[in-house]
Amino acid sequence: MNPPPETATLDPKIAEREAIKDINQDYKAKFGFNDPETGYVFKAPKGLSRQLVEDISEYKNEPQWMREFRLKALDHFLSRPVPQWGADLNQIDFDNIHYFVRASERAETSWDDVPDDIKNTFDKLGIPEAERQFLSGVGAQYESEVVYHQVNEKLEAQGVKFMDMDTALREHEDVIREHFATVIPANDNMLAALNSAVWSGGSFVYVPPGVKVEMPLQAYFRINTENMGQFERTLIIADEGSDVHYIEGCTAPVYSTDSLHSAVVELIARPGARIRYTTVQNWSQNVFNLVTKRATADADATVEWVDCNLGSKVTMKYPSIYLMGERAHGEILSIAFAGNGQHQDAGGKIIHAAPKTTSSIFAKSISQNGGRSTYRGLLEVAKGATEARSKVVCDALLLDPESRSDTYPTIRIDESDANVGHEASVSKIGEEQLFYLQTHGLDEEEASKMIVNGFIEPVVKELPMEYAVELNRLIELQMEGSIG
Amino acid sequence: MAEHTVCKAEELPEGSSRIVEVDGLEIGVFNCGGELLAIEDRCSHDDGPLAEGEFDAAACTVECPRHGSLFDLRSGRPKTLPAFAPVDTFDVRVEDGEIKLEVD
Repeated sequence: MNPPPETATLDPKIAEREAIKDINQDYKAKFGFNDPETGYVFKAPKGLSRQLVEDISEYKNEPQWMREFRLKALDHFLSRPVPQWGADLNQIDFDNIHYFVRASERAETSWDDVPDDIKNTFDKLGIPEAERQFLSGVGAQYESEVVYHQVNEKLEAQGVKFMDMDTALREHEDVIREHFATVIPANDNMLAALNSAVWSGGSFVYVPPGVKVEMPLQAYFRINTENMGQFERTLIIADEGSDVHYIEGCTAPVYSTDSLHSAVVELIARPGARIRYTTVQNWSQNVFNLVTKRATADADATVEWVDCNLGSKVTMKYPSIYLMGERAHGEILSIAFAGNGQHQDAGGKIIHAAPKTTSSIFAKSISQNGGRSTYRGLLEVAKGATEARSKVVCDALLLDPESRSDTYPTIRIDESDANVGHEASVSKIGEEQLFYLQTHGLDEEEASKMIVNGFIEPVVKELPMEYAVELNRLIELQMEGSIG
Repeated sequence: MAEHTVCKAEELPEGSSRIVEVDGLEIGVFNCGGELLAIEDRCSHDDGPLAEGEFDAAACTVECPRHGSLFDLRSGRPKTLPAFAPVDTFDVRVEDGEIKLEVD
């Protein structure tokens, strides 16, 4: 996530000019630059092996149980075939990836201590500025590990834990051992198995009972190396009656060969807790983004995934929520934007496993310049989940005849009193709409942008203001020059 | 209630398991440190085979080989997702040197 420049104190006209100037920069200039690798502490040779997994564990000085967990996960990964449904993953060369790259010695708590090249990168992306302005805490991961981590002192005093996962394993081993991989087991799927074998970095968040974290926590993930694999692991536990909003953003340099990002994210919402997890995914278009995200919600708890997928070559990601306790509530808001050469295979899954649970899935996809977007979703009302209510809405917008949109909604209902609604629409950008806007003085490109912004508005309005502005800007950036 | 003979007691030593079929129903029988336990050989997540998964006799669990859900053999309850519903459990005992399984 690249926070917007400070505009509050500027004259609105100047601010607008600045914003437009910024939009005209392409991805490569704004996010796609790369840093030299001088000063790197360790870079594993390409390829995956038992020795590499043992080396990662040794390097991190992990307990024996984690080493065994990794090795077992590697066996699972090696024994599983590449999935043949969804996006084409056969093009990934798993032998041509650096699975572990350590760019600096440790996670610093002051930006001044972060190595210069890395700090400059995060300065360009605006992270330190965002931390000062509107965040409760920040984690910045560069390559395989977190290079900076800081949490607001007040929250720390309230017992909120926000640290990188490697540190959490050292400092809170019992908590990690009890919860790690209980929401997403190592053998859940091929990519979760790979992540479990070579995971590094990611965030651990624990919010004590009753504590409300007022401002969001943010993690920023940056890949710098060519043919890099980033495999962070995030676990968020919101204890009874607590409330937390976590935001993640991601970018990478533009390279001609592919990189792989395969994260595992587990959320645990205890009774009455609320977790909102927002993603603004803006990987460069040489990144395979294959992420497993799953949450469990106890009685009266709420989990919300706000998932915005703009970048990457291929994304396969279906955040899911298991509503395990009575009256638990789940929401998934998803935006996918697929441009030339991109396949966004996204959606969400909600499983009602207890009575009186409620949920909604709102998915919006936009395809242009031959891009392909897919909605893939599951709504399940299990036996015993009486009086469940759910609404699923998936809308697709096609901006030209070369683009493609597919929808695969699955609904399984095992209780007769469930109240489930499903709506779906696919629309082309209308010539009449364009003509109408053009009669009001907009050119075709401006008119198209306005229609797209209106289309995604129901999701964007759920984002904090700074991120909503940024998302609109990113979409405009994607659409720049796409007309004519 | 039907009683089924699984095998001789010495044929299922501690830490071992076997799958038997009773009236078309596949059941996994496990010896957890001398405690005999039996569950239906069907994961509640996607109906795949369960009892052939990794058996941890010390923890008294079996891990579904398909998606990794870990089941408690005493209660039949999953300890990890993606399964969330319990699987059926059955009474097992040793009688006259033979392991007997009771199936409803």
